[in-house]
Formats: sequence, C-alpha cells, structure tokens
Amino acid sequence: MASRLSVDLIETIKPVAEECLHDAQRRLARLRYADLRLEVSEAKWAVAENGSPKGSGDDESLSLGVRVLAGDRTVAPGYAGLALGAADAPDLPRILRDALERAYRRATANAEQKAEAREKFGGLGEALGETRLHPVEIRRDTVPAAYRVDPRALDLGEMTRFATDVSRQVASVAPALKYNWIATLSRLSRELFASTEGACIDQAFALTQGSCSVVAVAGATSQDLYDVLGHQRGWEILLEGVDEPLIRFPTFHDWALGLARQAVALAAAPPLPTSDREVVVVTDPHYNTLVSHEIIGHPVELDRALKMETAYAGRSWLLAGLGEHQVGKRVASPLVTAYSDPALPGYGHYTYDHEGTPARRVVHIDRGVFQGFMNSRQTAAIFGGQPNGHWKATDAALVPLIRMSNTAFGAGTRPPEEIIKEVDRGWYFAGHRTPSIAESRENFRISARAVYEIRDGALGRLHRDGGIVADSRDYLMNVDAVGADFRLYPIPNCGKGQPMQVKKLGNGGPTMRSRARVAGG
Amino acid sequence: MKSAAELAAAAERAFEYVRGQDGLLEAEVFTAANGALLTRLNYTSHIPCNGVEEPKSTESCGLGIRAVFASPDGPRIGFGSEPSDLGPAGAERALERARHAAVADPDFVSLPDPSREPRALADYHDPRLMEVDDASLVDMGFQVVGGALRTFLASSRLATLAEDDAALRRLGLIVGGDVTILQERIAIVSTRLPRVQTDESTLMTAFVTSMVEAHAAKGSGASTGTRLDHFSDEAGVEAAQNAIRAIGGERVPSGEYTVIFGRQPVADLLNNLVVPACTANAFYSSRTPFLGKLGRPVAAPQLHVYDHGAMPGLMGSKGITCEGLPTGRTDLIRSGVLVGCLSSWYATQRLLRDPALGEKLGATGRVAQAALAPRNGFRFGAGGGRQFDVPPGIAASNVVVEGAEPVALDELVRAVKHGLYVGRIWYTYPINGLRAGDFTCTVVADSYIIRDGRLASPLRANAIRINDNIGRILDNIVGITKDVKGTIVWAADEVVYAPEIAVRGVRVDAIAGFMEELE
Repeated sequence: MASRLSVDLIETIKPVAEECLHDAQRRLARLRYADLRLEVSEAKWAVAENGSPKGSGDDESLSLGVRVLAGDRTVAPGYAGLALGAADAPDLPRILRDALERAYRRATANAEQKAEAREKFGGLGEALGETRLHPVEIRRDTVPAAYRVDPRALDLGEMTRFATDVSRQVASVAPALKYNWIATLSRLSRELFASTEGACIDQAFALTQGSCSVVAVAGATSQDLYDVLGHQRGWEILLEGVDEPLIRFPTFHDWALGLARQAVALAAAPPLPTSDREVVVVTDPHYNTLVSHEIIGHPVELDRALKMETAYAGRSWLLAGLGEHQVGKRVASPLVTAYSDPALPGYGHYTYDHEGTPARRVVHIDRGVFQGFMNSRQTAAIFGGQPNGHWKATDAALVPLIRMSNTAFGAGTRPPEEIIKEVDRGWYFAGHRTPSIAESRENFRISARAVYEIRDGALGRLHRDGGIVADSRDYLMNVDAVGADFRLYPIPNCGKGQPMQVKKLGNGGPTMRSRARVAGG
Repeated sequence: MKSAAELAAAAERAFEYVRGQDGLLEAEVFTAANGALLTRLNYTSHIPCNGVEEPKSTESCGLGIRAVFASPDGPRIGFGSEPSDLGPAGAERALERARHAAVADPDFVSLPDPSREPRALADYHDPRLMEVDDASLVDMGFQVVGGALRTFLASSRLATLAEDDAALRRLGLIVGGDVTILQERIAIVSTRLPRVQTDESTLMTAFVTSMVEAHAAKGSGASTGTRLDHFSDEAGVEAAQNAIRAIGGERVPSGEYTVIFGRQPVADLLNNLVVPACTANAFYSSRTPFLGKLGRPVAAPQLHVYDHGAMPGLMGSKGITCEGLPTGRTDLIRSGVLVGCLSSWYATQRLLRDPALGEKLGATGRVAQAALAPRNGFRFGAGGGRQFDVPPGIAASNVVVEGAEPVALDELVRAVKHGLYVGRIWYTYPINGLRAGDFTCTVVADSYIIRDGRLASPLRANAIRINDNIGRILDNIVGITKDVKGTIVWAADEVVYAPEIAVRGVRVDAIAGFMEELE
C-alpha cells in the first residue's frame, strides 16, 4: 500500500524544489523569474445532523502551484497547478520540472502574443506593459504551527461522538428547533515557497473549527442561523473555548447551544420594521466583523482597485485611476481607524504570504483619512508602495489573489454600555448574518442575526430579519462613537477569484454607533 | 489526463478488490479525471496590464469509495478517497479510509438502485476540447481581448469622446473576464449497478465585462459552447459594444417599477433563490420558501421551470449523475405550480422516510416519490469538474425557464411601456434566510430605462439596489420572452437557459449618489 502523506514531506522536498528552480533557470532561456508552492495538509473532520452522525474523514492532500515570468520582447506570466497524492511523492522531481516547463510555455506564448497585441492595437496597445514584481527582502525561514492538541493525534471516533453529542443537545433545546447540522474540523498544513530569487520559506499552520447551522420554525417563519467558531490552534479550542485578549469563545458545546436558543427566540420575534430615513444604529463587534470585511477589507484589495476583478469580485470606489484615488482624503469620521494585520492571531495570521513577502500591518484608514491598500508584488510595482504581504491562495494549485489577513476596525475608548445609554431611540444590531454589497463597495445591505430596539438608553424588544442599508462613505462618516471592546472573529467563507477560492480569514472591530436606514423583512 | 477506458478499468479493478473484503455489505467505486484550463483576462487602458493575466490550469485524478460495513450496531457507511493512484494500493488506501470514517447514519437506506429510466446521452463531448495546448489557451484569451479592443477602436461614439490615443486611454477602457475549458471524465461501478459506466463531458465559456470607466458605462458579453469550433471573439465584441451603449447612463428615483429582468438576472435569481429552494435538502431542513407547497401555486401561471441534464447540446448536460443514475428532465414549477425537487439518492430516501414528510413537502406516497426522482446527485466542486474526493450532493444541471405564452422582447418592452430593463445584477442573496424569501442586489450593467414602450436611455451602473421578495417576484410576473439562452453566473454549478421576464411592482432604491461627487 502507498504510504500516507505527511506534512514532513515538505522537509525532504525543500532541496529538490530549489534544485528544480535552479535547473529551470539554467535550461529555460527566456525565464526571468519562477516560484513554486507545495502544500501538504492532514485533516480530520466529523459531521452530525439532528443528533445522528453523518460522516467523518481522515484525509491528506498534496498540491503544487508554479508561476513563471518569461519572454523575449516583453515579459508575461504563466501558471500551472496540480492536485497530487501519496503516489506522486517519489516522482516529485519530474512533476516539478514538468510543471515549471508547462508554466514557462504559457508565459513565453503569453509574452509573444502581448508583444504582438501591443503593436497591433496602436494607442490602446501601449497599456500592455512588461510584468514586473516589486523587490522584496528575500528570506529563508521556517515557521512552526501553534497548537496544544496535535490534529494528527485526534481519534476520529471520538470526534464523531463529540459532534453527535453536541448535535443531540442542540436538537433538544426546544421543540421549535427543527434542524441542526454540526461540523468539526482540525487540520495541520505545511507550505513550502521557493523562488529563483533564493527564497525558501516553510510555514506550518494548525486550524480547528466548529460549525453550527440551526433552523427554528414558528408557524410561517423559519430562522436559519449559521456561524463558526475557530482559531489557528488545536482541538483544545473546541473543548475549552478561547480566552485571549482579542479572541474569546466559550466551549463549542455552549456556543452551539447559544446559537440554537437564539434561533428559537428569533423565530417567535417580530420582523424589524423598515425605516424611510436614517436612524441611530449601534452595532456589536460580531456585526462589525462583517462590516469591516465588506466595506473596508474588500475595497482595499489593490488587485480589485486596479480593475483586475472587474468581471468577478468587482472594483473599488477608492481608486478610479493611478492618479485619481482617495489616498490622503477623508473617507470616514475621525473616530474611524481600520487596518489589516497578519501579525494578529486568528484565521488571518501568517508570517509570509504566498510570494514570500514578509507580512506586515497596513493601515487603511487613519482617524478617518484613507491611507492605502493591501497589495502584492505585481500590484505594488504598478501602483507604488512597499509590498505588504497579502497575496494568498486557498490551495497551492490555485493562483494567489490579494486577500485580507486580519482586517478590522481599530478599537476606540468608550465602554459599549455607554454608547447605548446615550441613545434615546435607535436599534442595536447583534451578530452578522448575510451581506449584499454594491460592485465597487460603495453601498451595502448587511442583515444582523438579532436586532434590539433601543429606548431611552436601554435595549428593548428583540426583532428578527433586519439589517442596515447605507452608502459606505456616509455610514463611515456618520460614526460618532467607537467602543473599547475590540474582538476578532473568524470568517470561514470569503469567495474571490476564478475559479472561486473560498478562504478563511479574520475580521473584527469594536462596538460602533452611526446613522443609517434600517431594512426589515 | 486519463482516458475514460483507463478510468473504467481502474474502477472495475478497485471494485473487484473492495467487494472481496470481509464485512462489506455494499460498495461503490467512483473514478474521475478533471482538467480546467483557464485564461484570465485583464486589459485596462489607463493602468499597465498584461491583457491575458493568468493562463493557467488545474488537474486532478483519483478514486473515491463509498462502502457499507456490517457492525453489531447495524450498517455503517463510510467514504474514502485517494488522489493520483488508481491502482490496487490506491483502492486499498481509499477503502481503509472509508472503513475508518464509517458512521451509523440512521437515515442511510442503501446505495443507489438502478433507475427504470434509460440513459439518454452518450458520446456527446468534443475530443478536441480535451487536447487544447498551452499556446492555444493563450491565443484564445488574446482573441477575446482583441475583439473588445477592435470594437473600441472602431467606435465612432468613443471617437467623439476622445480626440487622440492618449484621450482614448484616459476613458478607462476595461476588458476583464476569462476563457474557461472544463474537461471531465468519470467511471462508476457499484454493488447495485455492477456494470461499469463512463461519462465524458467538455464545456467552454468566455465571460467578459467591459467598461468605459470614465463614463461609468459597463457592459458584459458571453459565449458558451460544448465544441471548440464554437469559439470566437464574440464575448469580447459583445461586452465592448454593451459598454459603449451604456455611456450616458441616467439615474432613476427610488420607487416601484415594472422591471424586465434580462437573462443574467433571471439566471442569478434562479441560482441564488429558486434552485436552492427546490432541493430536497431545503425541504428536509425546513429552509425553503416553498415548505409544504408541493402541488400548490408558487408563481404566476405562465411560468415553467425544469432541470434537464440529458438534453443534447446544452452546456450542463451529462450522461449519468455522479451516482451512476441516468440524467433527465425534472419539472420544478409547471404553470406556476410546484411539482418537483432536485434530489440525490440519499436525499430522496431520507425525505421519503421523514415522519414530517407531508408537512415539509406538502405530499406523501407516490406523489412525493414522483417529485423526488434522484436525477441530480453530482460531485461538482473546485470551480468545475466532477470530484472523486467528495460524496454526491445535489446540484442542478441545465435549468430551463419558459413562459406559457412567450413574446418577443420588443413586444414585451412595448407592453411594459414605462419601467426598467435590468440586464445584470450583483450579489443577489436571500438577506433574511431562504425561507423568508427577502432578497437584495444591485444593478451593475447592461440596463436601460423604458419610456413609451422602448429602451430610451441607459441606466447608470451601480445606481440602484433592488430590495424585494422572491415570492412577490414570482407572483407578479407579467410577461416572458421567447428566446432562451444559456447563461452562467460566477461560481455556479448549473447553466440557466433563461428568457427575459417582466415583473410588476419591483421595489428599487437609488444608491451611492456620492460617487458622482468623486468624478
């Protein structure tokens, strides 16, 4: 039988990968640059539904991605990606060589066609430039994963019993709770990045996640809630919860029961009435996690701002052209600061991105003034500025894109209770649910899990099916209070790219207060 | 890429090995090889670019085994897979994983039994699409970009807006999108379907968005096909033409409008709201807005919606499902009445045995059984392809939307008289959960204001948000056009063959007025 794949393969393949890159540099005459990424993952998962086990798995995966910049009259990129298995491990030197050659053929054909198009299309051809990567510090480094309970050491039967037990208890919360789905995952992955510039970076990551989906029914109303709890740690987070300065969760069991009870309460609650004008809205850190994701994180991705996502994820209202953008301009109230920081813990944490750039904090909004974007080496070379390490893929076989790390609203100084206490009439939005954002992120409608009326400085009646609808800039400019209660949460399913890459990342913020229209069911 | 014959031989060998194992009650071996060739386009006249940004590919191959094991507590069902290795060691490893992962799922009845319906589709793929080389992949991308750039250069409208090359570039001409070729091969054999079956399919799409960004003018174009000789620069040309047509877009105030939804919006509403509401799992989990409504009206009487995975020449057609069952036609909504659901074998067996079946579906017995034919058990994923490493789920194939008394578009526009033609929507989600039916989206391109029975002027992109409810939309349909066209939406599994549909009383809000201040 073929031996199982192990993350230890990365250790043995490092010198081979580097030799393949050197070999390509020697043999392929028009090659200007190449990098390769190899990823091995060992994952265990279990799923239960309505108190019964539904499935489990103990899987390993190996994938490879190659980028080559090559050409003669101009330089262009070419890529190749492969999903591999244990049977491929002995043959990896040949597979790496073949993949490099394939990406090289694509890059050289691309460069030749680009040079022809530049000549053929006159003035419009001038925009077709040579592909350049902004220089970065070349690193050779190994970064270990952080965990207490090794994902590889977990007993699959025990994981299944745990998920089934949580599901059974959720099912018994109330007769109105008609459906639940519980999933747990714990995995260890290790990634190698090597380039012809001499980079060789070996990073390992542990990730554990618990997911809960519940449906509570009351007459013609179904309340359908879904959320995840997770961290880049081991299984211990599901059993013990997390109590860190920026990330706090109860145990998975208590957390899932809480979600179920909320669904039951909401199913019996009235829908939020829609307002025809702006009202005072107070939003909790969980709701602001999605706000920071949608109206801060996405529009500050420089690939999107440079129009590379026009057909898919959309553009950014923060940049019209290289000389027409909002950098240095006020886009929010002076109380609003927002940033992306891969050094913070949680789903958005990493040390190097997928082109070996040391990841660093980038401030997007500093006290209301827009400062800049998350970028990659290629987009930094076009727009200017230092690469900040946000070029990431969900799998080594896929081409990276600019993705959020931990993107969040910065903390303020106000106690959240005080922010509510100052409101005589308004609405409090607790927990995020579903977003719909305009193409350049200039307008949004985001629904909340629960909405409470605020009357005379206190939370009142619970409402279901409500959210905020606003133009992004107006909403940010209207912020008049920011809490000290900053939290980071995991976002498990951010979609971007073609083919779609569904990525895990971190977002967060504190309690905030603004003015906006509210939209109900 | 492995041939279908190689996949079939591997499946048979693995099945022989698996069925000889102790304690095994039944098993299924699924082998698959997938290729996705994709060249991503990015031309921007005002920003340095590559034209063809990412000529790339992904490939995968492997086998997956579903196996049912005897145990003192009853049968245990497990799934295991192995990438790359189709030989005995791969089968051994996958079976071991399935055994290790097996659980006692009380809803499991059996692996799929043979269908009484015959297979309708075989040998329908284009072998040339299985063999596209690297240079051709790049060339196809530049053909599409070139089609758009030629259209821009030939435009008298743009010539009046830009006196010279530099001014033309400053208009912010954008061409984005991709050309994608999907190559799929599978083989499947099981205890209950012991004759190995194979299936091969190919699909080619070009999906392009163009802009004259300085005028907030956006248009889209697409071409789709199952044969290489269908390919042309059409998508680029169409997108550029639509972007130029969109110059001078106007805003409209908030209010209720009669809206003609173009094909992409119809496909988007189907993809995000109607199709998910018509799956067996949505009924099982009480999530669907059609809960308990089988046999009852859910839309205007003129609306028909069906899924047809076996229609020759349609892009989403397959010979068999990823459970080895024949594909075919499943009526979902007929004359406005809910008549069926998309389902897999497992989901059908589970829902038919659910004590709350009558309450959830609205019917029991033979009526329910007929409505839950398992013609849609697929293993789609990873942006296309039939994946060996996941068990089957429910997915649509070709969703066809038709009207009872369809008319030509110009006739429909005349009948509407005053309203909006919405050609492309964006971020269309059930904002308060699927059952509530509330949805929202913004209008991003290809849209017009209808005045006096004609498309009078373009509607400015990103200037309105639709806030409505899918139940209201389906009830308020007032007209459907004749011609359906295959339409894909980003990251969707299915292809929607969509007409244009007019709906009265659609709620629209004006948005993002501040964007004009930035220009």
